[in-house]
Amino acid sequence: MGAVQLTGVRKLFGAMEVIKGIDLTVQDGELVVFVGPSGCGKSTLLRMIAGLEDVDYGVVSIAGVDVTELAPARRGVAMVFQNYALYPHMSAYDNLAYGLRRTGLGRAEVEARVQETAALLQITELLPRRPKAMSGGQRQRVAIGRAIARKPEVFLFDEPLSNLDAALRVEMRSQIARLHHELKATMIFVTHDQVEAMTLADRIVVLNAGRVEQIGTPREVYHSPANLFVAGFIGSPAMNLLPARVGADGRLILASGAALDWPPGGLAEGQNLTLALRPDRLALGSGDQADATGKVTLAEHLGDETILHLRLGDGPGLTMKLPGDVPVRVGDAVPVSFDLSGACLFGADGLAVRTRQP
Amino acid sequence: MGLLRRGQSLIDQRRTAPRQWWQSLLYHAVMLGFACIFLLPFYWMAISAFKNNAEIFANPVQWFPNPFRWENLAALVSRDDFPFLRQFGNSVFYAGSVALAVCFSCSLAAYSFGCLRWRARNLVFGLTVCALLLPSVVTFLPIYMGWTRLGLNGTYWPLIAPFLLGDAFYIFMLRQFFLGVPRELMDAARLDGASEFRIWWQIVLPQVRTPLVIVGLFAIVYTWNEFFGPLIYLQDREKFPLSLGLFTFRAARAQEWSISMMGALFTALPMVVLFLLTQRLFQRGLSSTGLK
Repeated sequence: MGAVQLTGVRKLFGAMEVIKGIDLTVQDGELVVFVGPSGCGKSTLLRMIAGLEDVDYGVVSIAGVDVTELAPARRGVAMVFQNYALYPHMSAYDNLAYGLRRTGLGRAEVEARVQETAALLQITELLPRRPKAMSGGQRQRVAIGRAIARKPEVFLFDEPLSNLDAALRVEMRSQIARLHHELKATMIFVTHDQVEAMTLADRIVVLNAGRVEQIGTPREVYHSPANLFVAGFIGSPAMNLLPARVGADGRLILASGAALDWPPGGLAEGQNLTLALRPDRLALGSGDQADATGKVTLAEHLGDETILHLRLGDGPGLTMKLPGDVPVRVGDAVPVSFDLSGACLFGADGLAVRTRQP
Repeated sequence: MGLLRRGQSLIDQRRTAPRQWWQSLLYHAVMLGFACIFLLPFYWMAISAFKNNAEIFANPVQWFPNPFRWENLAALVSRDDFPFLRQFGNSVFYAGSVALAVCFSCSLAAYSFGCLRWRARNLVFGLTVCALLLPSVVTFLPIYMGWTRLGLNGTYWPLIAPFLLGDAFYIFMLRQFFLGVPRELMDAARLDGASEFRIWWQIVLPQVRTPLVIVGLFAIVYTWNEFFGPLIYLQDREKFPLSLGLFTFRAARAQEWSISMMGALFTALPMVVLFLLTQRLFQRGLSSTGLK
């Protein structure tokens, strides 16, 4: 297996720059997830690593070899596509064997590799079938098998679970995690699903508008977002982003007038900041202990938890995630208390200033 | 209560299309009338093939041959001045060769225009489509002189070989279908190590088999009826396709209507049968080009 290194990689479609200079190293055996909103360039970046898109500037190296100018098949990568991309007129066996035959392997070795892969993925009974005679999950397993059979240096996954229903997605997610553990392979996984990113990744690369916003472990990205974009993107529901000002006593004054205690140091009086707070760090206050009062604009009762959308006076909206089924209705005024452990502060430039450890 | 009962009966009652029976009758009557107008010449040709000259021009018109003159068929295939079977074979060879050439060359070009990305692709495709606007008589003379210099005048080469280089109409038609082939299939094949030619042959062509058959059918029908090209390039009666053979026979034996009609009947019949067997494919082909 091999490490993947991107150095100053850029991509232009006509005059539009879609990948704006990316430097990244994916270690040997690591599972890295590219995550970001639609159109941020994560699939394009993956296709550039695969060799399916030309690299306009920069260098792509795999296992220490510059592969920027190499054809896709000579890079030692295999890719699993969102829509499976199985050859419809071939059986699952031939789909797995097609790439092996192109490498010039003998019939016996092709047979052995296909059977070995099929056994690993438990798809042996599917081998004679064509893709149209398989379910979505079965097709995806065959598509993953096609990648595994080639024994590549690097596996590339382009939103492979997006077309599956929720239950199958969970199953396939755990199967990919198991495969990564068993094969100890370098894997790059593209998704816009944060749960997939958080559960699968050794490290997450958050992309936005062709740039890397943050690279870190799932815990780092979740608890210490580097900037406002990551804070707003990672986590569901998203972090509450509240404009705040540092008061004379060092406390944080919110737009609604609420004053919150914050450990002293590093903040100048009158400094304008943004306070980022996870929805689960808000609780229903009681009496004098409430920091603010909000009016419920939407209540989502999910059974095991309740998500409330509030408005603090004329100030910004606020999202609360409360455990259990809370009997609150739209229009109710509810007292809110802020738990600032795990809260982050961002400066006027959008970059993180301070983070309180949870 | 009565309203409730009426509502319940509306729920239980199966709903039918709002069109009235007389609208349907009128629609079918008009369509049948048009169909008769179009079919009448073909019927006239078919019955005339089994009459003699006197019966063809009899007044009042004989709408059904009596007797059925099967000897006209025997006369058609045994005449020295009209080698019908030979020319039928020539037509099959000509149409089949053009269809194969078109399927090969146009699918390659359509793959390039529809599935590959290269600089100025859209410009070149636009120029290709512009070739549709150019009347063939404009280019006929220089092309004719070229073939004559090559010494291939009087053979089928000038009639078939140009189709090995593609045809704007069929390229346009096939490209529409090629655009529908998922790009990921080709990407997967590239990652599997297939060359572009192999991807075209082994991955993409199997996905567009039906459109290829459609293009082949269009090419066969066009070539079967082609007259101008064979008239220019072929001089030997033994090499004529049916379209030209029938014309020259009519020109030389203008009074032999029954043999001409029998020839015309068996020239048209293969295409009619082909159309009846494949009319759904024809409809798909026309709808893909925006003609229908």
